Amino acid sequence: MPGKHLSRWTLAWFGSALLALLAACGLGLLGVAGPGAWTGGNGLALVHVFALGWLCQVMMGALVQFVPVLAARPLALPMLALPALLVSSAGTVALALGFLVLEGREALQPLFLAAPAAIGLGFAMVAAMVGATLSSRDSLRLAEVRMVLLALLALAGLWLSGAMMVLTLSGRDPAVDLSQALPLHMLLGIGGWLSLAAFGVSYKLFAMFLIAPDQGGRLRGAVFLAAALLVAVLLAAFLMVLAGRPAEGATTVALGLIPVLILLYLAEIARIWRSRRRVAPEVNMLWSRAALAFLGFAMALSVPGWLLGGPWAEAAVFAALVGWLSTLTLAQLVKIVGFLTWIQVFAPRIGRQPVPMVQKLIDAKAATLCLALWSAGTLAGCLALLAASPAGFRLAAALLSLAALGIVRELIAVRHLSHLAAEERPAPLPPLILPLLQPR
Amino acid sequence: MTQPLEFDVRPIMQSGDDPFGAIMAAVDALSPGQALRLLAPFRPMPLFTVMANRGFGFSDRQRADGVWEVLFTPVADAPDAAGMAPGSTPTAGFWPDAVCELDLTGLMPPEPMVRILEEITRLAPGEVLFALLDREPMFLFPELAHRGHEWAGNFASSGQAYRLLVRAGAQDD
Repeated sequence: MPGKHLSRWTLAWFGSALLALLAACGLGLLGVAGPGAWTGGNGLALVHVFALGWLCQVMMGALVQFVPVLAARPLALPMLALPALLVSSAGTVALALGFLVLEGREALQPLFLAAPAAIGLGFAMVAAMVGATLSSRDSLRLAEVRMVLLALLALAGLWLSGAMMVLTLSGRDPAVDLSQALPLHMLLGIGGWLSLAAFGVSYKLFAMFLIAPDQGGRLRGAVFLAAALLVAVLLAAFLMVLAGRPAEGATTVALGLIPVLILLYLAEIARIWRSRRRVAPEVNMLWSRAALAFLGFAMALSVPGWLLGGPWAEAAVFAALVGWLSTLTLAQLVKIVGFLTWIQVFAPRIGRQPVPMVQKLIDAKAATLCLALWSAGTLAGCLALLAASPAGFRLAAALLSLAALGIVRELIAVRHLSHLAAEERPAPLPPLILPLLQPR
Repeated sequence: MTQPLEFDVRPIMQSGDDPFGAIMAAVDALSPGQALRLLAPFRPMPLFTVMANRGFGFSDRQRADGVWEVLFTPVADAPDAAGMAPGSTPTAGFWPDAVCELDLTGLMPPEPMVRILEEITRLAPGEVLFALLDREPMFLFPELAHRGHEWAGNFASSGQAYRLLVRAGAQDD
């Protein structure tokens, strides 16, 4: 059955996510939000275009593509991939516009209230595909598989906490204490859903791209245990908030678990890196190291972030979302899109005519430049937030926008096989985004 | 999971009857997903193909008392029982020895896929190649199926290597 291990809509998920990334960078450049200005409607809209539109969507697209690799079986319920993309995109746009209610645009209230329903439906469809694919006795033995399932649990908590806050902000019952719910919402999203999903997928990808032995072992079991504890504490804390009880104690415990979790994860990634057989890693792996460094940086900032709040908390969240999660995703995206494009175009030609090496589809120099620019922009953004400098933050947003445009340009070039010599480039070219597989 | 149904053909054979009809009746009586454990005085080779065509994989052993014990497992449940990856050809046990062996460990995807497809194109129909890989070649399987080649694979017990047999199809379109 041709193509049963490729999801047809992977590139559509990536394309939609990249549009949101460009939109968020553009809004940052326009000064819609910045140091100390994240809790108003404009600031929340920007944050959600970035976190939900870009990071959640790219992660969901990546999971739909990669859980079959994790579980060594075909994707379950593949017919849900497109509807999930459509409703979660619509929900994201509705939520971003809905936040403008807080800026006095009352007419947008219905959109604000409808957004959680659409987003929840999209999340549920992705969770059904991923959960059904991974839930088998063989797969569940793997700590990385259980970690992705844990990420889905955190996703449910993320959605529930977000939906409750939307109700509260629109003045409806049941109202929650926002000052207690907000840190939990962020921790469920960043530390629970996005980071745990990234952990689970990264083991397989890193071992593959570094040609390193892929064995779980005790360290990975320990990462899973710490992650399970974190998600359990976060969900319990949110239930306490729902019950109207104080949850600072539980939130502090969760924040104490995060450094343990991150250090265990980094220790295992360091082990994979040292045991690699590929002497000179490619650009995606070299720049994944920058992402891992930002993970450590975010962890270091999280302590003053919780104790002092304000600029420290803003910088910690920025380092996690823009530094750790986005740098990792952008670096791997170049490689993954190159790989999928190569499979799509050249797999049918192997053994019948010469095929180019997969590396030739990518301009490593251009990718390096963009990823370096992205990392510089992230660092500048963290410093600008710490210094509470709106001008510095605009400069950082300019660097990030340039880098994002450069990556998108490179991805389009990869899809068009632009880096191949004309005689190596077959006609017709694959469509840019839709659908991934053509009948042949 | 349901216990395998045990069926001993020795009394039937001792009485001089052909056990085939009785075996097929036993197969028809299996509940969905249930395996059949067959006890026979010799290795029942002809039965393997018949059962494969009915969707069963098999594993067999000769006991210390000389009796052959064959476990026929429905292929949908084969990953647990027969140890083959989903999608493997159930009759791979009958394939001839591999004419070509490839060690593709330490290669970055998609290089193993390229090597296997190039090699299988050179083989005569029915010939088999064996390849050792670091991981399951997920993107290779649809390509093999599309070109009419059969495959069977599984992880070595260490989990650190993937063993793959590919049998060249009648023609490579």
